[in-house]
Amino acid sequence: MQTNEQKLQQDVTAENGRQELVRTEKAITVDFKMVTFSLAGKDYGVDIMNVKEIAKASKFTYVPNAAPFLRGVYNLRGEIIPVIDFRIFFHLPAERKSEDAQENLLIVRLEDHVYGVIVDSIDKVVGIQSSTIQPPHPIFGDINIKYIHGVVENQGRLYIILDVNRIFEQKEEEKPRLISETPSGNFFAAQTAILEKEQPGSSAKASASELEFIKETLFALKHFAASPLNEGWVETRFGEWKKLRNNKELQLKNVEDADEFLGNFYSPCNGRLWDEDYAEKVLAALPDLTSKTITVWNPGCGKGYESYSLACILKKRYKDARIKIWASDNDLLAVSSAPNMVFDLESVPTIYHEYLVKGRYGYSFNPEIKDAILFEYHDMKNVNPFTDLDMIMARDVLSFLDPNEQIKVLNDFAEKLKARGLLLVGQHEVVPEDEWTRLGTEPVSLYMLNS
Amino acid sequence: MRVEYINPFVESAFNVLKEVLNTDIKRGELYLKSTTMPVLGVAALVGLAGDVEGRVMFDMSKQTALAVASTMNGEQLTSLDELAKATITELANMITAQAVTKLHELGFRFDLTPPALFTGDNMEVSDHEVEALIVPMETPQGKIEINVAIRERA
Repeated sequence: MQTNEQKLQQDVTAENGRQELVRTEKAITVDFKMVTFSLAGKDYGVDIMNVKEIAKASKFTYVPNAAPFLRGVYNLRGEIIPVIDFRIFFHLPAERKSEDAQENLLIVRLEDHVYGVIVDSIDKVVGIQSSTIQPPHPIFGDINIKYIHGVVENQGRLYIILDVNRIFEQKEEEKPRLISETPSGNFFAAQTAILEKEQPGSSAKASASELEFIKETLFALKHFAASPLNEGWVETRFGEWKKLRNNKELQLKNVEDADEFLGNFYSPCNGRLWDEDYAEKVLAALPDLTSKTITVWNPGCGKGYESYSLACILKKRYKDARIKIWASDNDLLAVSSAPNMVFDLESVPTIYHEYLVKGRYGYSFNPEIKDAILFEYHDMKNVNPFTDLDMIMARDVLSFLDPNEQIKVLNDFAEKLKARGLLLVGQHEVVPEDEWTRLGTEPVSLYMLNS
Repeated sequence: MRVEYINPFVESAFNVLKEVLNTDIKRGELYLKSTTMPVLGVAALVGLAGDVEGRVMFDMSKQTALAVASTMNGEQLTSLDELAKATITELANMITAQAVTKLHELGFRFDLTPPALFTGDNMEVSDHEVEALIVPMETPQGKIEINVAIRERA
């Protein structure tokens, strides 16, 4: 506000013909001082009003279960302050120092809170005129634009001024989430603890921490939670991944990387009609059932292609039984289109042709199949009235829940199934052996509930 | 909740509110809930039976209820009296009835119970083994939440 007023005033004065004076004034008025520092070779600044002091410190006290960028807490003359590593926070490369090495700390004060911030090196205090600060530009890709207050040039150097208020506001919101929901949070924290205590370096440990970090990223980007359900796959995949990337740049930087990592996690024919090969294998794995009505729950049905596939296969396998599939998803848009699906005949594998009828807009499944499936907008984490189910199909669904929810939902499954009920999960998902007996062979992960 | 049921409720709520309030209204993002939910202050409840079992609840603050009743009656009502209550009850009836008519056209058979109106502070609603679909509607009179908790008859 003040800046605007000043500028306005200057404009007015200029109009009065005293441009000379204004120009000199512009050069000398210093109304914004910032403390400058460097992160990964670039220059940054923060408003000096937010900086309480600068310090050098080491041996931060490790805090369990905290976000990775929180290096620990530090005792600053009797006051315990959290210490945040900006390089980790902004995903910038940071050299790993030994535990005893001194880190450069900016002690930042925001209202009542004091934080320590680790940076590469602290430079000096630079005074500038606030009207010369330019708004951030999207090309400063290293750091999210919302954290940048502006950019300013001073004596041939370009400084990016960070908005610490925003950064710490954000952090407050983020921290509890990271602690409570991050799947491998505990494990990861424990790992870091060991690493920090015992000096990083041994490659096995480095590799373990790389893997933990990948797990965290998978959860953050794709909500894929590594857990006993899929750990075998994740570890194998990590080995492949290392080869694929020649052991360099292992970390997943964006959603594309995460998608690539998860590329071969998904079961065959994920999200589409099952092809003949997979369908045959499921058919072969299904045991005889005595029920007259076969009731199935298919949470996470998405657009419904797999529900239709299953309906046809069950129809084939249990000719005399009535099939009832409760297909549900919490994505309203996806599941809404499921009841009225229309196909081109060519795009449908031939095994389904006997169940198709030609309608006005193309082929769709016949009423017998359609009536067998009931699509619902439903979140499987919520309650539902299903009981005495003969089968549950949840391929590649559980892995995308929080680990705690995975356990809860899996217990739910066991409760809702009949004795010796069937469970079909994703190809790379494994359920506890003491409760479930595996019936299917690769790639059909069909299990039976132990009675 | 079965996907076929959702649109009739959303559409009829939108249409009826738009018509009776004679203004533009905005539909918020739909979502599901299954825990106990707070009730805003005035709740009109219509029971459903037939192919399904459950209920629809129209939930709004007292202030919103007064404003809506005032608009619908074309006069400024100052307290939630019999007239105001009857108006909100009628609104619930109109929306549910229209939804049920639409569902009937799609081949689903639903029956309605007469609406009941609940008012009070610090009320909560919980449904046994049914999750609720929430349809938030923003009107100039305030927010009206339509809370549909129904399940297929086993």
